[in-house]
Amino acid sequence: MIETINVARVLREALAAPYRILVTRATGALVRDRIELKLKVSDCQAAVLDFREVELLDLSCADEVVAKLLRSGQSKFVAIAGLHEDLREQVHEVLEPQRLAVTIVHDDAGPELLGSVGEDARLAFAELRQGGCTCDELAQRLDWSAARARAALEALEGLRLAQHDDLGHTLIPFA
Amino acid sequence: MSRIVDIPAQFDDRGFEQFVAGIGAWPPEQRLFLDARGVQWSSPYSLLGLLTAGQAIREAKGEKPLLAIPTNDDVRSYWSRMRFFEHAADLFELHGKLPRPHRGGRQADTLLEITPVRASEDVQDVVGGIQEGAQRILTGDLGLEAKATMGFAMALSESCQNIVEHAGTGGWVAVQTYQYRRRLGGRRIAVIAVSDAGIGFRRSLEATQAKRFGDRWRDGTALEVALVQGVSRFRDPGRGQGFAGIKRYLQRWHGKISVRSGTARLAIVPPWDDDVPLVEHLAFFPGSQLQVTIPSQDTAAE
Repeated sequence: MIETINVARVLREALAAPYRILVTRATGALVRDRIELKLKVSDCQAAVLDFREVELLDLSCADEVVAKLLRSGQSKFVAIAGLHEDLREQVHEVLEPQRLAVTIVHDDAGPELLGSVGEDARLAFAELRQGGCTCDELAQRLDWSAARARAALEALEGLRLAQHDDLGHTLIPFA
Repeated sequence: MSRIVDIPAQFDDRGFEQFVAGIGAWPPEQRLFLDARGVQWSSPYSLLGLLTAGQAIREAKGEKPLLAIPTNDDVRSYWSRMRFFEHAADLFELHGKLPRPHRGGRQADTLLEITPVRASEDVQDVVGGIQEGAQRILTGDLGLEAKATMGFAMALSESCQNIVEHAGTGGWVAVQTYQYRRRLGGRRIAVIAVSDAGIGFRRSLEATQAKRFGDRWRDGTALEVALVQGVSRFRDPGRGQGFAGIKRYLQRWHGKISVRSGTARLAIVPPWDDDVPLVEHLAFFPGSQLQVTIPSQDTAAE
């Protein structure tokens, strides 16, 4: 099950302010606390943070809401939706130096990556968009050694952008 | 007995340095008589600095300074519509003909009158309150692309948060556009001015950084560590990104940032300006004073 969290609504619940702007660390921490609480009580495996109604996001708040959530060690997989171009830039700027990455989901296109992801892991992610595969299959598809394919898939797993079972690796199903 | 400190006729960032030098040792041993009667022009940055002087003297339990207000009607009117007198009344003993409190709407060149910043909620209100005006001024008056508004709001937010996160006391912010007479052929600029009377960069970073620099640890070093290296006093890996974000924004729009703290001032200087990147051994002034300048787009390439 996927839980969709409307971030602007969480902001409205957290602050009695009329704005749809996510600024300051204190605000970000409040919003993240509420998101973490929602995730804790939900029996979902994965959640999508929907930023569609958020008009502004500063770096401090992006760090508190997105980067700290990804670093928090909570067990749910997290993706982001509805980021317009400027918000996207802010999120990238806070994830990149911390070597974090997140899946961006779209209504009308496949998932993509945002943040710090090595080139091999990025190529592996693109392959997984076509469908799940084992290390050997990925190595074959990309003409890589098995070790290189394994390292790329493990990097995606480490960033919680992919998962694996007995049948191989897949992207996290956020839809 | 009072010590007279002249406030220069051109009360811009240079005039502010003359004013600070006139104060001398800090905190002042004698009551100050700040004479602004001859002021012919003032910037938001210098007005915030003046309020910060009053705030710092009050917080140091000094005697309330006297402030003789400008005699020039235009200057007095400007100070009034920037709401300077509303805040100054608590910090100074005002002398001179006070204009009637400004009751009209906000002037087209003013995005944000002088506003106190003490807590995170103040930053939220400041940024939320200027969004519409920022769009109008940046895209209209300054000819920037619409997406510049987002970065401007981000720069404003991160600048104000320095007060909340690091100063240890309150501060002030103002945002305005005006014609820049000293450079850029008199073109328009948007200015974010932020000032606080807090502990300053050197003390804020001392516990985590001073050992690295030994004898070289001083105000200028602390500014370089924060502004150039993006180091924060917090060890959290997500910290220290505020200045990095502001610098990226300013690089894109050919803007300038200058930060003064203690006895030093550090600036990231764009090609259109000839300011000195680092000035040390200035007269001491408490807290931190920050100025972000965005030029109109037609000047950017000059």
